[in-house]
Amino acid sequence: MHFTASDGVFLAFAAITVGSAVVVTLARSLIYSAFALLFTFFGVAGLYLLLGADFIAASQLLIYVGGILVLLLFGVMLTHKLYDLDLKSEVTQFAPAAIVAAGLFVVLAVLGFRTTWKIGPGRAPSATTDEIGHLFMGQYLLPFEAASVLLLVALIGAAMIVRRKKEA
Amino acid sequence: MIGLPHYLLVSAALFCLGVLGVLTRRNAVNVLMGIELILNSANLNLVAFSRYGSGNLQGQMFAIFVIVIAAAEAAVALAIVLTLYRLRRTPNLDQADILRG
Amino acid sequence: MPEVLKSLPRFLPEIALTAALLLVVLVDATGIKARNALSRLLTALGLAAALALSLADHGVPSETWSGMLVADPMGSFFKALLVGASLVVALAFTFRNSAELHGLGQGEFHALLLAVTLSNLLLASANDLAMLYLALEMVSITSYVMVAYFKGDRMSNEASLKYVLFGAVSTGAMVYGMSLLYGLTGSTSLPTIRAFLSEGLTDQNRFAVYLIALLIFAGFGFKTAAVPFHFWCPDVYQGAPTPVTAFLSVAPKAAGFSIMLRFFFGGLSSHGATPWDLSGLIDWTWLLMLISVLTMTVGNVAALTQTNMKRLLAYSSIAHAGYVMMGVVALSENGARALMIYLLAYVVMNLGAFLVVTLVHKQDGTFDLRDYAGLSKRAPGLTFAMAIFLFSLMGIPPLVGFMGKFYVFAAVIERGPSYWAYGTIGAVNAAIGAYYYARVLKTMIIDEPHVEKPAFRLPTADLAWIAALAAANILPLLFWSRVEAWARASLSIYAGL
Repeated sequence: MHFTASDGVFLAFAAITVGSAVVVTLARSLIYSAFALLFTFFGVAGLYLLLGADFIAASQLLIYVGGILVLLLFGVMLTHKLYDLDLKSEVTQFAPAAIVAAGLFVVLAVLGFRTTWKIGPGRAPSATTDEIGHLFMGQYLLPFEAASVLLLVALIGAAMIVRRKKEA
Repeated sequence: MIGLPHYLLVSAALFCLGVLGVLTRRNAVNVLMGIELILNSANLNLVAFSRYGSGNLQGQMFAIFVIVIAAAEAAVALAIVLTLYRLRRTPNLDQADILRG
Repeated sequence: MPEVLKSLPRFLPEIALTAALLLVVLVDATGIKARNALSRLLTALGLAAALALSLADHGVPSETWSGMLVADPMGSFFKALLVGASLVVALAFTFRNSAELHGLGQGEFHALLLAVTLSNLLLASANDLAMLYLALEMVSITSYVMVAYFKGDRMSNEASLKYVLFGAVSTGAMVYGMSLLYGLTGSTSLPTIRAFLSEGLTDQNRFAVYLIALLIFAGFGFKTAAVPFHFWCPDVYQGAPTPVTAFLSVAPKAAGFSIMLRFFFGGLSSHGATPWDLSGLIDWTWLLMLISVLTMTVGNVAALTQTNMKRLLAYSSIAHAGYVMMGVVALSENGARALMIYLLAYVVMNLGAFLVVTLVHKQDGTFDLRDYAGLSKRAPGLTFAMAIFLFSLMGIPPLVGFMGKFYVFAAVIERGPSYWAYGTIGAVNAAIGAYYYARVLKTMIIDEPHVEKPAFRLPTADLAWIAALAAANILPLLFWSRVEAWARASLSIYAGL
């Protein structure tokens, strides 16, 4: 049992991911939570790279960090006074929720180690973009098109909800 | 040696932290952050199984769709939160309480 | 490319809906004066075409789109049911007869209705976990927007907020469960998962499958409003515009049951003599039974004390989800047939009740049950129709609601004495349900109104729709053998055999 460099990288990314996720969940300030979420997304992207999923790692950075996180930050800013640095987010019923979450973690951890997952040939880390592109235009053509309808509807819907009601 | 179970452990931690955030937060934007943690944990599982498991790309394709859906969902959810703020001047869920019984 | 050409002929209903959706969006964007009428016409045409095309599909059960979807008789049955429900909502619940929607833009509403219908069809025929999750989220996200349709209305906004947060968490749990299922079986395709699981499981893996099924059930439970995933339901039904409530109470619920059926039969069962033979593999029954009992009991007991009609019907729809689940619990061919027949009956009786609620609100501006007092004198025809819908919801013969209940109870009881206690609980629940439906009728017929109100003047179109829905609760009994034959012929499911 020896410790390799990639194990060290895994531990570093895992620590960043879980550590910042703890901050996201527990931080009193919304701004802290939002910025900690940035590190969680980066950490997960790093883990994707270690797993050889280069395309997903890039999508994670572009969509989660560039899209969803920015959206959430807008949400924080627009629902509070801009210069109010003291953006408190209160916590309720912490003890019972923490017990539930901890119990769930134990169950999932036991499950992860004890279940005999299907360990097949595996997939050596290699560039996936080419193959994913072919899958999108082949086997996954229908979900790909359906996702475009979903994005169209989400676009119309979000614009419709936010637009102010016309004065009758 | 790092293997599949270690990735599963990280994802289980993310999932449970997400659940904890959803259960305890009063601020709607914060609840959304918890939901993003849950979706990230599922994606980490999918990619890890794709790497160590049968070696097909089905897990990775699934993960891409999860990311797309997360974006659409976040857009709609934030639009609703913004309207809540405009109507009540609060993003807190316990002030959304006219519907009861 | 050959795969696409092979799949397209089985995909015509969806194509009709997509074309109508895009046309409605384009017409609405032009800003011409006739856009409201035009979008309604396009919606009706698209839905009617999709209905005809769903009924016309008689091909052999097979996978389409490289295994993403299946085309089989059960899928066609649910497609026809789902499109039919949307068509009734689009035509009967107009902007004119709803005080809530009156004056709002119609294009967006119809575009959303078409989008949910399209997603419902995809959900009803999904054959791959990725496709299943995508379709389920498409239904959910479009529903969130529909619930938030009143801009600037606090109740609508609050309802949609609860809906979106609850939905996102439930489906998050579901996708986590799906990721574990992929890890266990090495595939996201339902037939491959089924083949893997039917090879047998070790005890450790059995525990994993139970946990995975629970996590995935969170998503199905959310869509069908089964306890304990029902908390959003009363608030959303009360806060949403009534036509949207009527739609949500039937279509996404039916789609949820269709995918529940497909998932538990097609994905998580062993190969037996027939696709419906579930001997062996995993003992789901007690779990589904518990959820079903809780669902009907919670729904019925909570409905007893409601005074808001929309909330009352919301709890009643939760209770009905419990009865429909009896068809899943039976895990047999007859159970699946009973589920289909129950859903057919549920669509006509529930839409009818909601249409009456909409019309009363248009006239009197109230959803409060106490304001229904004396309605029988002011609108005898409407009261009579409401009586038919409520008796049908109770399950009184000779209405379609009775046939639905008859088939689900029969499917459960024929499974043997160990199911009889469960059937008894269902019967007790039906009795509780009869009490609160009767309370509505008593208010309408016997109670004296507090203030005198003018008589109802209903436009002919509304009267015609009320009469049509009331007839749909009675007339199918006259040609029942054909209805049953349709359900029986639809029992063929593609399961990778």
